[in-house]
Amino acid sequence: MNDTELRNALGNIEIEDYLGILKLGKKLIKTIKATEQENCIKIAVLGSCSIQHLVMALKVFLLKYGIQADIYQGEYDGIEMDVLSDDSDLYKFDPHIIILMTNYKDIKIVPGLFADKDEIELHLKREEDHYRNLWDHINERCKCHILQTNFVIPTLRVLGSLEYKYIFSKTNYIQNVNQRLLDAKPNNLDFIDMDFIASYVGKNKWFDYVAYFMSKQAFSLEVIGYVADIIAKMIAAHKGYVRKCLVLDLDNTLWGGIVGDLGFEGINLDPNDPIGEAYLSFQQYVLDLKNRGVILAVCSKNDLDIAKEPFLKNKKMILSLDDISCFIANWEDKASNLRQIAGELNIGVDSLVFFDDNPVEREIVKRFLPEVWVVNVPEDPAYYASALAFENPFEWSYITKEDISRSQSYIHKRQMTLSSLSYNDYNEYLQDLDMQATVKNMDTADFTRFLQLINKTNQFNLRTRRYNEAQIEQFRTDNNYRLISISLSDKFSEYGIISCIILKKIRNICFIDTWVMSCRVLKRGIENLAMENIIMSASEMGCDKVVGEYIGTAKNGMVKNIYTEYGFKPLNKTDEIYKTDPESDLYILDDLSSWTKKPYFIITK
Amino acid sequence: MSVKQRLEEIFRDVFEDDELEIYDEMSAKDIDDWDSLTHIQLILEIEKAFSVKFTIEEITKTRNVGEFIELLTSKINK
Repeated sequence: MNDTELRNALGNIEIEDYLGILKLGKKLIKTIKATEQENCIKIAVLGSCSIQHLVMALKVFLLKYGIQADIYQGEYDGIEMDVLSDDSDLYKFDPHIIILMTNYKDIKIVPGLFADKDEIELHLKREEDHYRNLWDHINERCKCHILQTNFVIPTLRVLGSLEYKYIFSKTNYIQNVNQRLLDAKPNNLDFIDMDFIASYVGKNKWFDYVAYFMSKQAFSLEVIGYVADIIAKMIAAHKGYVRKCLVLDLDNTLWGGIVGDLGFEGINLDPNDPIGEAYLSFQQYVLDLKNRGVILAVCSKNDLDIAKEPFLKNKKMILSLDDISCFIANWEDKASNLRQIAGELNIGVDSLVFFDDNPVEREIVKRFLPEVWVVNVPEDPAYYASALAFENPFEWSYITKEDISRSQSYIHKRQMTLSSLSYNDYNEYLQDLDMQATVKNMDTADFTRFLQLINKTNQFNLRTRRYNEAQIEQFRTDNNYRLISISLSDKFSEYGIISCIILKKIRNICFIDTWVMSCRVLKRGIENLAMENIIMSASEMGCDKVVGEYIGTAKNGMVKNIYTEYGFKPLNKTDEIYKTDPESDLYILDDLSSWTKKPYFIITK
Repeated sequence: MSVKQRLEEIFRDVFEDDELEIYDEMSAKDIDDWDSLTHIQLILEIEKAFSVKFTIEEITKTRNVGEFIELLTSKINK
């Protein structure tokens, strides 16, 4: 098996595929001879039961997490033999890590029925002393890290449901032993929570009695992947190979629907809707990860402003902008964006975990950035949190207060610097889009779209005047009106009509009755093109002044000051034109030649 | 495919030998690679492929491939 085949096999290995794991493990034993490589760590696996298959599986998962290991395999039921003999092969091997695969059957003596607290304490002390003895022996002869399994609480419950109730039950006793050993452990020891793994897969599946009686296996080989994966992750974390940052897509990942189409209020985060609730639940899980020190980043195919709107304006959002250390939303490919995120956060690309509902995006990242951990996102958002939890990419050796504050400092740094690209970069990007626009007087073919835009646009909408067909038709045939439509295409897509303008000539004044633009194309310079055409049309209509009005609503805050940006001045009223309502703002451009031209990178056809 | 053919495929896969041909008298001593570890792997593969679970007695009492084919045939016909 060559290197590429091996890498592919390792990348595709599934925890549930026990047959595949064993096959691959067998191949690895044949093809990879243990060498004295620099990064090779020496791992000793000792066990009360059979450990051969575990060692095979461990080789697979260690390699998957980038660890070359030379593994010493202890004898069957050989923990005491290896640990307590001064000249054992274990100590000759001089391991960096010792794994003690204990088994609940190691606990030979349990409290009797109706044992009281004092009697139980004697049993607990005995167990504690037994293991302290083992640990002391190891630590006197090795400078190593110890991983020891806790005891899986068995399901042969002699007392039935009373196992839970009585302190002298085997269930409670073993639970107490686990707690006791956790309290007594030395600093260089970490427990492998086997009882959790067994619970997770289901103890019915975990315990395979045929396998135990036939070949003394502690657990069914069907779960070997789960065990080997956790151990390999713990060893990788111990070596410092940890993931630090969760990069999230937005549409259909953090909320239901596409924000560019639905607007920040239309996306599904409805707590009364099962889908909305699923997304909210996922956001909460992500927030919990952030609170324990995982850095969050966003990588979305959206205009930046549109992408941020739900964070700023949708009250149902659980995540806020303050939780995101790096926010990238543009139309670039995600692999480049991920590299940029890593660069901005000053972490390696191999620190990133990528969560995106779109399999195409996931495939692209897998192909071009194989170091990134790409989560296998299920189709149903109901399973987003559990899928991320199952893959468990953020396995660390410990959590410190510094971890928590570090993620906070990334966020502060981001807030202090200007977001993402510099001005020059953005212009280059706009030029790169190859935008083309057609500006014309609205004709009958465009009628429906024109009407639709006027009636459904809320954000880039100066006066929010809604007109029906009859009214539009009336304007179209009135010489005092100009109806202008702007359609746009770029190298990715045809957008059709994305802006509508209605100009009304009142004597020598050109009044901007209506100006709307689709939020899909904000911040691309189209408004600059539109203003240029408004002024040209004003001149053609024989006007020498242009007046615009901003009527504020809950949704159109983004255009509040747009007229001043083009050099218009505030106006109270003219003889002909009054404020439509007392709160609105009127602006006037006195001199058609003195408006503030702003650049755009759009070719007009 | 017959039980024997399906079994042969599994043997070829486990022992990584596309030319391997199984026969009734075949047992662990006939293949170098067939040790106790591989035996466990074989049992697992067969159990999965045929959707059966062997009892301790069935595993211990079956002495060669031929007896195995008989056992399998009777199990899947139950």
